[in-house]
Amino acid sequence: MTTVEVAALGAARKLLGFSRSRVAVENATVADLLHDLKTLDGSTLYEHLVCEGRLRGDFAVVINGLSLKPDALGTRLQGGDQLVAMAILRHMHGG
Amino acid sequence: MALAYAVPADTSDRWIPSTCGMCLHGCGIKVMVRNGVALKIEGDETNPDNLGKLCPKGNAGIARLYDATRVLTPLKRTNPEKGPGVDPRWVPISWDEAYETVARELDRVRRDDPRKLLCALGDFQRIVLWGWPAVFGSPNFFTSLGNYCGGSYHPVNGSVDGSFAAINDYDRCNYWIQIGSGDGFSAHLHLSGSAKRMADARMRGMRVVTLDPRCSVAAAKADEWIPALPGTDRAFVLGMAHVLLHELKQFDRDFLRDKTNAPYLVNSDGYLLRDEAGKAMAWDLRQNSARPWYEVPADAMALEGAFTWNGENVRTGFQVWKDMLADHTPERMGEICTVSPATIRRIAREFVEAAQIGSTIVIEGKTYPFRPAALNYYRGSQSHSNGLFDNLAYKMFNMLVGNIDVPGGHLGVPLDHRGFFVSPGEDGVVKPEPHQLHPAPAFKYPPDSTHLMEWFPIGFDAGQLNTETLLNPERFGLNYQPEAMLIYHSNPLWNMPETDKVEQIMRRMKFVVAIDIQHTESTEWADIFLPDRTYLESTLLNCLEPPAVTGHALRQPVVEPLGDTRDAYDILTELAERMGFRDDWNDLLNIVCGFTAKPQYLLDPDRRYSVEELWDRYARNIYGDDHDLEWFKKNGHAVRYRTPEETFMPYGDLRIPFYFEFIKRTGDQMRTNLEQAGVADWPLDNYQALPFWKNSQVIDDGARGYEFYAITFKESLHTFADTMVIPWLSEVSQKDAAVHGGILVNSVTARQLHLSTGDRIRLTSPAGSIEGPAQVIEGIHPQVFGVSNTITRSTITNPGVKTKGSHFNRLLTGSMRYTDSATGGLESSARVRVEKVSSGGVR
Repeated sequence: MTTVEVAALGAARKLLGFSRSRVAVENATVADLLHDLKTLDGSTLYEHLVCEGRLRGDFAVVINGLSLKPDALGTRLQGGDQLVAMAILRHMHGG
Repeated sequence: MALAYAVPADTSDRWIPSTCGMCLHGCGIKVMVRNGVALKIEGDETNPDNLGKLCPKGNAGIARLYDATRVLTPLKRTNPEKGPGVDPRWVPISWDEAYETVARELDRVRRDDPRKLLCALGDFQRIVLWGWPAVFGSPNFFTSLGNYCGGSYHPVNGSVDGSFAAINDYDRCNYWIQIGSGDGFSAHLHLSGSAKRMADARMRGMRVVTLDPRCSVAAAKADEWIPALPGTDRAFVLGMAHVLLHELKQFDRDFLRDKTNAPYLVNSDGYLLRDEAGKAMAWDLRQNSARPWYEVPADAMALEGAFTWNGENVRTGFQVWKDMLADHTPERMGEICTVSPATIRRIAREFVEAAQIGSTIVIEGKTYPFRPAALNYYRGSQSHSNGLFDNLAYKMFNMLVGNIDVPGGHLGVPLDHRGFFVSPGEDGVVKPEPHQLHPAPAFKYPPDSTHLMEWFPIGFDAGQLNTETLLNPERFGLNYQPEAMLIYHSNPLWNMPETDKVEQIMRRMKFVVAIDIQHTESTEWADIFLPDRTYLESTLLNCLEPPAVTGHALRQPVVEPLGDTRDAYDILTELAERMGFRDDWNDLLNIVCGFTAKPQYLLDPDRRYSVEELWDRYARNIYGDDHDLEWFKKNGHAVRYRTPEETFMPYGDLRIPFYFEFIKRTGDQMRTNLEQAGVADWPLDNYQALPFWKNSQVIDDGARGYEFYAITFKESLHTFADTMVIPWLSEVSQKDAAVHGGILVNSVTARQLHLSTGDRIRLTSPAGSIEGPAQVIEGIHPQVFGVSNTITRSTITNPGVKTKGSHFNRLLTGSMRYTDSATGGLESSARVRVEKVSSGGVR
């Protein structure tokens, strides 16, 4: 077993009920981890973030500083990986 | 209001490094401070961005800091009546009372429907704060400053090479065509350093040709000024493209074939020809057949030609544009822009000869194409209702000589330190990035935003549309009415078209809060005024659109803050806290500041951070723990020249778009979306894959009896209209009558209309009228009347600041007929009738 660090921002934080956590995983993919992360409404983060096997357009997952492509949920996690799950806000403007 | 500032015991002069805040770009400065008082500002010669230079605005920074009209304590309005010129009867209140009032009023709106908050946010250097409305829950953008200039410009730059802006290569360009821009002379990107770079280039012999309706600084200092009608610059450039393609037959075939998608085949329906696997195809001249583009050897790939494939007539994208321009002759284009065909031909020939197509240059051991001729452009030439076509035409004209992002040529300028947003898109072409400030929202009906952002999938935030949507909400399916407004260093009443309509909307607001340092035409409508600190009293790290460099420079307080002011970050954080969403605010800052890249710097949602803590994390996140805020305080900046690898050919092995299929596809998808939503009469005509000439509404207004054109223009002495309240800058401006003397009119036209300098004249457009004194000059197109953007303000209380006329934006229209249907860019010129109101001039 190894651990990965999970940070949840905005809507993802509210779904999970925590902002930071260490999660034990074994030979897991990102999809596996999202399945393991239980949300306060009794489902999993996977059910909220993923649609038809792809990351939903209004959420993003960053692993070790790099954005995960929507169809790359099969990416395998390594011990010590840092994963950030967050909602995307599409209205941010000024000028 | 009395000034109050701390006077520390230290009496020695100190030079404190910081960054300028008098425009959006943040030149390096050093401020001489004695006894706690800032006495002098100079350019920081260690900062390669501005090379020790500082423009007049930067020199006037102290006048802003110590301006007697600054607001130094929170204010509450006591006069319930609101309107232009109506005294709000401000009374000072405590911060606690101000916060309590604002939080109570905004929270009421938020609990009801957060979309009912209209937001007008400016302050480009604090771009990280622009997400506050989104966390509040409002999608609305109620201002028109950014898209007045960049509404079409930024999306096209982002779509070509992942840049945000662009500039010709000061160091190596030999032939510079400047159209509707002040780059290097008076405005746009990092003026102080750019003026130095332009001067150096001119000293080494670079030729400058300027196309502009007015003899601007860039025109006056050019080798050649070519006057043209407003909004017709594209005709001039398309005429030159015709000359290159059809007459001289000189263009960079290798670049177009190997580095763009120009050779990809296009069906008669306007979409790329694709094989069964969906791969774009090119014509293989050896095999005489269409094949996936990546299977066709470069030397066998057809750049030009029409072919038949599976019974379908196909042409290369290059051929489609070439055919399209067959009738864009210098004669036809010249008639539109009023430039002689001979001049169009001559400039085209000089340009392509200067481009040295085929030549190379070695820089730091690496060989690059060398194309020392480029066309540079900005607001005046493309802030029009066909702005997408304008920008595409200018980019593609540059592409014809292969100068995009190569030494000597037309170089992309990234938004910030992150560099070009380049990633692989479809068909081996760079992925278009038209939205670099925020991801594009999906189409939605009814729309969420009052400026219809959901209806501009490749566009910018078309703030000017608020006047149309909010006064006719049923036409757009808008199912709520805003009732509160947040104004943060923005002046929507001044920067949006159709001022009367903006006033109508502001009258509907039940509550308005303003964060600023001085009163403006918009803050006059506020119920509560929260005073921010100036750039000489606050902290941030700055890196925005740097043309030659990269890296951040520190803004830091050089004096103790005057009065009882707060940093805007603290103000917005306190309001978020009082309304119960500071956790979301911290999370948004985590995203905007890029802390997600290194989670050890993530802000804790349960903690409040000081402004210094925020920027300390920001610094360490980008530069490492050895470059914390203390390091920046000591060293001032981490600005350095961009390397050749960071500057040239950021697209690498990818191609850049020449045939913009994705724009056409986006338009077709929009058509489907709108039909399904039952929206009729929404224009989609500018979603085209290639630019061509078509008249704008402004040009067509000529047939309605509006004989002349009216333009506004920027001055090097000013930023927007913001700085004209500073007496020193106003005084200097007044000395140049040819720029600032009144409504500029050509002497020939003046004779025809019996006008003299000083006569009061009225310009009337389809939207409204303005009046002012005529200033007769030689240096403006005879069909054009010019009005400086800093000729007047209505809330100036500083003695010595003179105004000469009324507000240009009253002439503009904010509707879709005057908006680029694809980008949302607004139309910045107008057709006008002219009449003399009264004589007052000297003949």
